[in-house]
Amino acid sequence: MQAATRREQKVVTRDRLVNAGMALFARKGIVETTTADVARSIRMSHGVVFLHFPRRDDLVIAVIDEFGRRLAAEFRHAFEQDLGLRAVLQAHLRVLAEFEPFYARLVTEAPMLPPKVRSTLMMLHAAVSARMFTALERERKAGRARRFERPLLFNTWIGLVHHYLVNRDVFATGESVIAEQGETLVNHFMTLVKP
Amino acid sequence: MAEKCPACGSCGMPMEKPEDYALGDVTRAYCRHCTDARGELLPYEQVLETNARFYVESQGVTPAAATAMARAMLADMPAWRGRH
Repeated sequence: MQAATRREQKVVTRDRLVNAGMALFARKGIVETTTADVARSIRMSHGVVFLHFPRRDDLVIAVIDEFGRRLAAEFRHAFEQDLGLRAVLQAHLRVLAEFEPFYARLVTEAPMLPPKVRSTLMMLHAAVSARMFTALERERKAGRARRFERPLLFNTWIGLVHHYLVNRDVFATGESVIAEQGETLVNHFMTLVKP
Repeated sequence: MAEKCPACGSCGMPMEKPEDYALGDVTRAYCRHCTDARGELLPYEQVLETNARFYVESQGVTPAAATAMARAMLADMPAWRGRH
């Protein structure tokens, strides 16, 4: 019983750290944030942070993994319902909106981040690309979309989305560029894939 | 926090469904892409190549960049940790 409580406590602490890391990375920037900063932001001892995340990058990857899990759940739902490409794009944006300030920092700083962090982000992109291509092929077979090379299908979408995210201060009047521009981007992309 | 599912100990792929696991067996530590027909872990070079190909096919990055990224991804995985 006590062991179970300790395990639960460990999960709670880890979740607090991931949330605090996500918030601080978004506010201060990933490159500029240390695990000591994260510890201070939630009044936790640095030792506890170190136990869960020995390196700053371990914490960054944990946040990216959390993003990936949310995305997988949204995509699973879209595919179970046999929804089309539009639903996949909307699912992608829905999760991006949840992580928007962190994600915008991540893509802005990506070229400066260590290989493991960048590779993790690119692996996440690979999973989105796979989902998009599967959905496009279904639409194409039903005569609702034209053929696209898989890398360019994804790169066209992510290039568009990232441009708005990186420059979110000039594309949105409020906090979220995805909330304000997301549907426009989806509509535009769907016109591009029409046969 | 979203519900966590186990990840492959070789490549890190989330294993959500039984068919994601080696031999469809949810007690296995590795995914179907990292194992052979008997459920045994494939050699490192083969896993590296599969992962690198995933980057190339999904995003069109150069083979050299894809291999470097795949190597970085595998470096901390339980199956390959301490390999170098």
